[in-house]
Amino acid sequence: MNGFAAKNVLRYVLSITIVCIFIFPIAWFALTSIKPVSAVFNKDEVVVFDFKPTFENYQVTVLGGKKADTESGSSIGMGTSGSGAYDGRGSIVSSLIVAISSTFMATLISLLAAYALSRLNFRGSQGYMQWILSQRFLPPIAIIIPLVFIFRDLGLRDTHFGLVIAHTLINIPIALLILKSFFDDVPIEIDQAAMIDGATRFQCFYMVVVPMIKGGIAATAVLCFIFSWTEFLLSLFLTSSIRTIPVKITTFVTSTGSEWGYISALGTAAIVPGFIFILLVQNHLVRGLTMGAVKD
Amino acid sequence: MASVKISNLKKEYGPVQVLHSLDLEVADGDFVVLLGPSGCGKSTLLRMIAGLEPITAGDVFFDDRRVNDIHAKDRNIAMVFQNYALYAHMSVRKNMAFSMRLKKIDKKIIDEKVEWAASILGLEPYLDRLPKELSGGQRQRVAMGRAIVRDPDVFLFDEPLSNLDAKLRVQMRTEIKDLHQRLKTTTVYVTHDQIEAMTMADEVVIMRDGVIEQAGSPMDIYDNPGNLFVAQFIGSPGMNIVECQVSEANGKLCATKGDLQLPLPSNANVINGQTIYYGIRPEHLQATRQASLAASDSNDKSITGVVRVVEPTGPEIHIYSKLDNQDVCSISRDRVLWAPGEDIHFIPDVEHVHLFDGDTKLAI
Repeated sequence: MNGFAAKNVLRYVLSITIVCIFIFPIAWFALTSIKPVSAVFNKDEVVVFDFKPTFENYQVTVLGGKKADTESGSSIGMGTSGSGAYDGRGSIVSSLIVAISSTFMATLISLLAAYALSRLNFRGSQGYMQWILSQRFLPPIAIIIPLVFIFRDLGLRDTHFGLVIAHTLINIPIALLILKSFFDDVPIEIDQAAMIDGATRFQCFYMVVVPMIKGGIAATAVLCFIFSWTEFLLSLFLTSSIRTIPVKITTFVTSTGSEWGYISALGTAAIVPGFIFILLVQNHLVRGLTMGAVKD
Repeated sequence: MASVKISNLKKEYGPVQVLHSLDLEVADGDFVVLLGPSGCGKSTLLRMIAGLEPITAGDVFFDDRRVNDIHAKDRNIAMVFQNYALYAHMSVRKNMAFSMRLKKIDKKIIDEKVEWAASILGLEPYLDRLPKELSGGQRQRVAMGRAIVRDPDVFLFDEPLSNLDAKLRVQMRTEIKDLHQRLKTTTVYVTHDQIEAMTMADEVVIMRDGVIEQAGSPMDIYDNPGNLFVAQFIGSPGMNIVECQVSEANGKLCATKGDLQLPLPSNANVINGQTIYYGIRPEHLQATRQASLAASDSNDKSITGVVRVVEPTGPEIHIYSKLDNQDVCSISRDRVLWAPGEDIHFIPDVEHVHLFDGDTKLAI
């Protein structure tokens, strides 16, 4: 075997090892979701895989099935409000509404703002970016109390719309930063060429420049979606009846114990929409869409 | 089509004055090249004509229409950029059709126009390709196609060939000139490449530091440079310039510098003791090995130097020599082999000598 082949093998072994390390917690989590309670809490040995997988956890959390009284009826962490407390369907819908809406709004607003910041010269355009970013310097917990009162007084607390606004606001600075760098990558001559061709500033924006940064928009949308989908703190404080998935999962940890089966089932299920969303946009997740526009 | 008139045009960026009161007229159908070193303001001037750069003072007219306050999109101009600036997500066809689509022109007419431009530029096989699937020269042609489909009043080119390799540049140069001869559209073309300027222009405008140094036909500028800068800037290899004093020797006025004695043209308007710049183009400086031949032609004193570098270009040989600590280039069309270190004698063609005043640096 020559050195090149050996190097290749080594490279594969290394990458597989690293992937295994990173995927282990997720795999363990997913495996837990299909283990019966007895296997999860087996004190004598670690049960890696139970050969009688159960889908009960999913049935209860994702499909809204009745919580079956397991074997001896000694369900760990008995729900105080019956099996309905473990129905995660409403949470999935809420999370989808909030994540999709806030992603859409944050991306749209940032897109317009980023173009302006990238292309237009106005007084203070330099400091503006810093100011927007500074909104993210504060830890969210620092603004959460005033935010709760403001939202309550505005009647936005415990509404989907309120949460969408909150997530949008949190997402805008980062989305703006990313999109601006993509706009900056498009040479200004493209705008000028379009304008000389007779395009207005807005036509130039949506007919020429935006299509050229589709990849950047997709990447930004993915980040916004993931943030909103997994956001916990704001959702916890700004809602009480609406429960997004991360908040819902915490309610599975009760005073009498933790429902690991349900936690892992809803958690595993929560990976799926994000995964689908990324699959949908991943074709656009390529930089270099501006290739060919100008001489590199 | 339209003529372009620029009057008293100024451009300032804060305290920095980039263009100083320019006046320029481009006749309808003319091909004018703005030529100058980097930073001379030629691109700024072009962008002001295009409406991409605000005007500090002065006016730009297309025919009799003052366009200062007319937006770029309404000036009916077409511009080709140095980096092509193609719409990367659109096919060649859509790139070219874009301006007409914005004008909501009938689709059939758009198709006809695009086909017409493609046939002129040899782009027919590539109409449905994306810019990234084209070579540099093809992309440049698409950029030109985008410009010509519009029937613009004025064509503006901003160093369109500087990103192409040498061979393609020569080819595209010819194509642009051919295109202009066919379409007869008023054209303003910016370049820092004097060969491009000389070969393409009806009129060359030479700029330096925001000022027009000289404007005229390429040959006129080459033969009669108005000042020292133009003389040095135009021509490749550049004109040989020697700073010298006018003095009298053997009853005749000549230009001297140290031991060097250079013959002056018979009609030279100089006085004894005047400081002048003595300029002669390499092709007017004949090189010879025979000192006697050189001496008999000049004021009995041969102009002798030492060969430093010899550059054969094919049709001619460029000989760089040291002449009294001064670098001198001469061009020889004879197939004479010169060796570095060898003595070389020069016979200047006196009637083609250019003299410039030592103070004003203007042609004498």
